Amino acid sequence: MTVTSNEEFAKRMMLLAKPAEPFRPTVTYDPDGDSIEFLAKPDSFYAQRVDDLVTVYYSQETDEVIGSFIKGVSKFCKLLLEKMPGFRIEIRDGRVSLEHIFRASLWFSHFAPEDLPTLTYQKLIDIAEETEAEAELSLS
Amino acid sequence: MMVDRGGSRRQYITIAAAEPDGTTCEVQISFDRMQTVGRRSFGHARECAFIVPLILQHPTAIFSGLRRDEDEDYRGFGWRCYCGIPEHSYRPDGSEARPCPNQVYLVFVNDEKVAYNWRWEQADPNDPTLPMDYETRFRQRLL
Repeated sequence: MTVTSNEEFAKRMMLLAKPAEPFRPTVTYDPDGDSIEFLAKPDSFYAQRVDDLVTVYYSQETDEVIGSFIKGVSKFCKLLLEKMPGFRIEIRDGRVSLEHIFRASLWFSHFAPEDLPTLTYQKLIDIAEETEAEAELSLS
Repeated sequence: MMVDRGGSRRQYITIAAAEPDGTTCEVQISFDRMQTVGRRSFGHARECAFIVPLILQHPTAIFSGLRRDEDEDYRGFGWRCYCGIPEHSYRPDGSEARPCPNQVYLVFVNDEKVAYNWRWEQADPNDPTLPMDYETRFRQRLL
């Protein structure tokens, strides 16, 4: 494999910079990280772990929740099938609303209703609902 | 150079990264991921273009084992987190700003040496060059 120089890499990356106008919320499954990334706004962000599954993204400009990173998706899907077989009915044409994934993760957790992670999950559920964010899932 | 990885239809670009022993290794970034980032904002594109290579090649710390619950997840082994503080951050319009205060930049690399995620995170209050909870969230510090 040939290593790309930093200059060439930066050039290629910036050639791909074609921000959508207006920005549309995105949900992307990345097989390399076995992860789902959700971004509701184009702001720069910083991340904070909520639990072993979910990391929340906060806007650098406003500190509001603007997205999330869900890791270990395959393992979580397997757990879902084992513990909540009825979850299948929420999957339509291989797609599932992100709010259902957040809600399922919250139901598996031991957080109390007043705990900060619960409030963060609730915020993510609200944003996923508002933006109608959906992820592609393969529950085989 | 764009490469296909065995068994995958994804295409990757290879860049250099630091090894803990001072040598270098190769890390790949998928073209799909670059396209996704490029559609978000010029700021996100510039983070990938300029900050990611910098952190991979000049990290202040490298950690391995990204999962807390090692008994439950075999995928933690070999996965790395490169950490550093870049000279700039980028606003959504792509303009330069000062590094985000009390934050560090992390680049996550899987066991196949693919960088799959990168982002700012809050720094540890006791060591602002390292991420929050670094002592408990990673299995080992390599650098």
